[in-house]
Amino acid sequence: MSSWILLPVFLPMAAGICLLASSFRAHLGGSGDATGDRSRLHSFTAAVLVISAVLALGAAWSGEKSVTLFYLMENIPVYFKIDALGRLFVTFVSIVWVAAGVYSFVYMQHEGEEKRFFGFYLVVYGVLVGLVFSGNLVTMYLFYELMTLTSVPLVLHNGSRESIMAALKYLFYSMCGAYLGLFGIFFLYQYCDTITFTAGGSLNMELARGNQGILLIAVFAMLIGFGAKAGMFPLHAWLPAAHPVAPSPASAVLSGVIVKGGVLAIVRVVYYMVGADFLRGTWVQTVWMMLSLLTVFMGSLLAFREPVFKKRLAYSTVSQISYVLFGLSVLTPTGMTGALMHTVFHSFIKSALFLTAGIFIFECGKTRVEELSGIGKRMPKTLWCYTFVSLALIGIPPTSGFVSKWYLAQGALESDTGVFGWLGPVVLLVSALLTAGYLLPVTMKGFFPGSNVKVTEEKEEQDAAKVREPALLMLVPLAVLAALAVLLGVFPNPLADYLRDLAAALM
Amino acid sequence: MDANLLVIVVLLPILAGVLIPLLPFRSRNQMLVFIETAVLLNSVLVFVLLISQPQESFILFRFTGDLTLSFHLDGLGTVFAGIVSVLWPLATLYAFEYMKHENHEKFFFMFYTVTYGVTLGIALAEDIMTMYCFYEMLSMVTLPLILHTLSREAVLASRTYLYYSLGGAAFAFIGMIFILTYGTTSNFMPGGVMDMAKIGDRTNMLLFVYLLCFCGFSVKAAMFPFSSWLPQAGVAPTPVTALLHAVAVVKAGAFTTMRVTYYSFGADFLRGTWAQTILMVLVIFTIVYGCSRALKETHIKRRLAWSTVSNLSYILFGVVLMTPLGLTGALCHMVFHAVMKISSFFCAGAVIYKTGREYIHQLNGFGRKMPKVFIVFTISGLALMGVPGLCGFISKWQLAKAAVETHSLLAYIGVAALLASALLTAIYMLTIVVRAFFPGRSFDYGTISDVEDPNWMMILPLVLFVVAMFVFGLHPGPVVHALEAVAAGVM
Repeated sequence: MSSWILLPVFLPMAAGICLLASSFRAHLGGSGDATGDRSRLHSFTAAVLVISAVLALGAAWSGEKSVTLFYLMENIPVYFKIDALGRLFVTFVSIVWVAAGVYSFVYMQHEGEEKRFFGFYLVVYGVLVGLVFSGNLVTMYLFYELMTLTSVPLVLHNGSRESIMAALKYLFYSMCGAYLGLFGIFFLYQYCDTITFTAGGSLNMELARGNQGILLIAVFAMLIGFGAKAGMFPLHAWLPAAHPVAPSPASAVLSGVIVKGGVLAIVRVVYYMVGADFLRGTWVQTVWMMLSLLTVFMGSLLAFREPVFKKRLAYSTVSQISYVLFGLSVLTPTGMTGALMHTVFHSFIKSALFLTAGIFIFECGKTRVEELSGIGKRMPKTLWCYTFVSLALIGIPPTSGFVSKWYLAQGALESDTGVFGWLGPVVLLVSALLTAGYLLPVTMKGFFPGSNVKVTEEKEEQDAAKVREPALLMLVPLAVLAALAVLLGVFPNPLADYLRDLAAALM
Repeated sequence: MDANLLVIVVLLPILAGVLIPLLPFRSRNQMLVFIETAVLLNSVLVFVLLISQPQESFILFRFTGDLTLSFHLDGLGTVFAGIVSVLWPLATLYAFEYMKHENHEKFFFMFYTVTYGVTLGIALAEDIMTMYCFYEMLSMVTLPLILHTLSREAVLASRTYLYYSLGGAAFAFIGMIFILTYGTTSNFMPGGVMDMAKIGDRTNMLLFVYLLCFCGFSVKAAMFPFSSWLPQAGVAPTPVTALLHAVAVVKAGAFTTMRVTYYSFGADFLRGTWAQTILMVLVIFTIVYGCSRALKETHIKRRLAWSTVSNLSYILFGVVLMTPLGLTGALCHMVFHAVMKISSFFCAGAVIYKTGREYIHQLNGFGRKMPKVFIVFTISGLALMGVPGLCGFISKWQLAKAAVETHSLLAYIGVAALLASALLTAIYMLTIVVRAFFPGRSFDYGTISDVEDPNWMMILPLVLFVVAMFVFGLHPGPVVHALEAVAAGVM
């Protein structure tokens, strides 16, 4: 009896639906804001979140388990299985989700409609755990679609025209991606022995012989499709639209966790369905490497010249996730180790960055980078956290980003991908420089605004100079994520060993 | 007895329909009770028929020679008759409420009920002659339903409908003559009736005739370039648009193409020929074309009608794949699309009936005022998009599986078209949903304070459809197996 591992999937979904129903009913009753009793809402959400996270981690770390829920069609069960990859994903997803959840207790007070927000927030958590635990392609697709549909309301939360347009953009890009993925699923169903994820892939070589052409096209469609969620060129444009308008904790989990859904899907397809050997040396691998490197560079460049802070971070996500995709595309164990490591680190780092951006918005209403000068006088702790995670993202030793980038470069050099073996590391380096260029000015201007900065009325000046940190509920999650981002770089070995074993089993 | 039922279920609704304007009803309610009883009774009889599966056929009368008007029940007919007989009583119930705000109810219900019998006639026809007769009758009896409001638009729409249908029937007639000439019998036989000895070297001519015949019958299924009558016909009252133009009439079109493809010409004769290629191209084009037009359309019923155009071509795509799996997919989509589309039309109808608003930009904020209707609409939209867990995914899966198995490039393009169309479906359905539930922060709910959910006669069918969408989506095994068996019996 291991069906209890589905509890962390369905418990938050059920709790979230209850919240949504209650919010909806309050609206039908005609009252304006359906938040109701705030402290009760918070304790309910917190309880569900913590219990589910504990259950999810417990399920993940208590050995291999699998459950078949029911049969959707013949040969197509809705099937859940916990494996090494799922364990990794569920761990960082839960950490980030709980941290951002705690943060939003304070943050969402100024956004309104808190019940609806927390309702969807819980539902998406359940869906994500389901996605991570999915044991076959169709189950994964089911949760992938659900993830898109349930996360849309998080983006359009504030209800402005802009945010609705952005949410629709997000929805349609994701749908487009999902259908490209489905196109591939149809073919893999035909040519694989089983749709259950199998380490090393389950492609039936006999059936595939003579049909390589169409199979490669199918896999390529899946890469582009699932890459949409991961912000890979050419379907990346939803990210910079959706992030600035979403509430900050929503952007944090969107960037930190939900885009990783795309990464997970790609890993599952490449390493657990078709197998790395099938792709090695084909045009698909070449184009994939080209696209990911292009995205790395383009994302950084766009971030560099973007004045809106959250939009800058969104472009940064575009660039950083393609580090991961590049690491996957070289198809070597080291590259994959680096990629998965960067997935974890980026998840903590980017969530922390968005939480910082949220604090700036919440406390002083500042959204543009140039408005942030002198902010370090007012919130030194916040800005220190920001600085540490920025350094981690740039990849300055001994922070975490350094370790993952080291593995990524190593993996590229090891592979026999010709010109990409050295071009990859070079692009990564250039992009790291750009990363420093777009992240560090905030720190520098924040602590050292210089003398020529806005000479406004004295009172405001004094006000700005006064130390006023945000509420603890906002600061602590930020600090925890920042600490993780740094410490995992100082002590990377347990994680690195775990990932090396994982990658070795796949190739 | 069982064989007699074949003809009873066809004639009973026709008779009941004709009686409606003649009987002296004392009140509206009395008339409604009469209609619902007749329709329900007929549906029960159809169920009895479907369960007992009589093997013998019933000959109503003979024209000259072998030409007969005769009925027989087989697998394909079971599927179509099943869909129609389940949906008709529900749609009638809905029509009672809806037609309150329209005039000439008696004539409306007369033709509406007669159509039931005629549609069953198509489903149960044993030979091409019978099917053709009922096919023509279907055009005639549904014409007044489109004409119903007698507005200028309605007159134009019904004229278009008439021209398209008559033109299509003429092509179909040519096909019929050739089938009678070159076939061994006029009856439908699994695998086709073509007599190779008679055909000799006239294969290409016959393929051309098949093309004409398929196109003729597919006019009702709104295949490009014969699709524009369907959105125009959206001026009819919603029960007509929902039941006839999403299920009965248009699926009669798809059903007749199945008959001529698999039972008259025979899939073996057609597979791999240029006729199949041309039809595939047309069908694939229609799949994308219908969706694109739906996207452009701002009138809610016309948008759904264009969506029907596209979805009917999913069915036709399965038909022209000419494999058992393809036919399974086609039948699956025939059943599932019926449920999904009728429920979205009923939602649209509920909006029009309660508020008189017909354009999509007027629907801001309706989600909070008509929660039941819009939750159902959302679920139907998700099902149409093919979200797993709902029935649309299952039929899409079957169709794609069939297409992938044929190993032909055109079929692969077809799969891509299915998915492109799914994306467009997402766009044209979900924009409505988002508009209804998230009208924006500055939206003033006071402007739509008159909006509310309709009563149980409209809600009950909707609830049943939602249940059906989930059941078919989560546990499709029995239905799919049954349809597989039907399809396997054909080849």
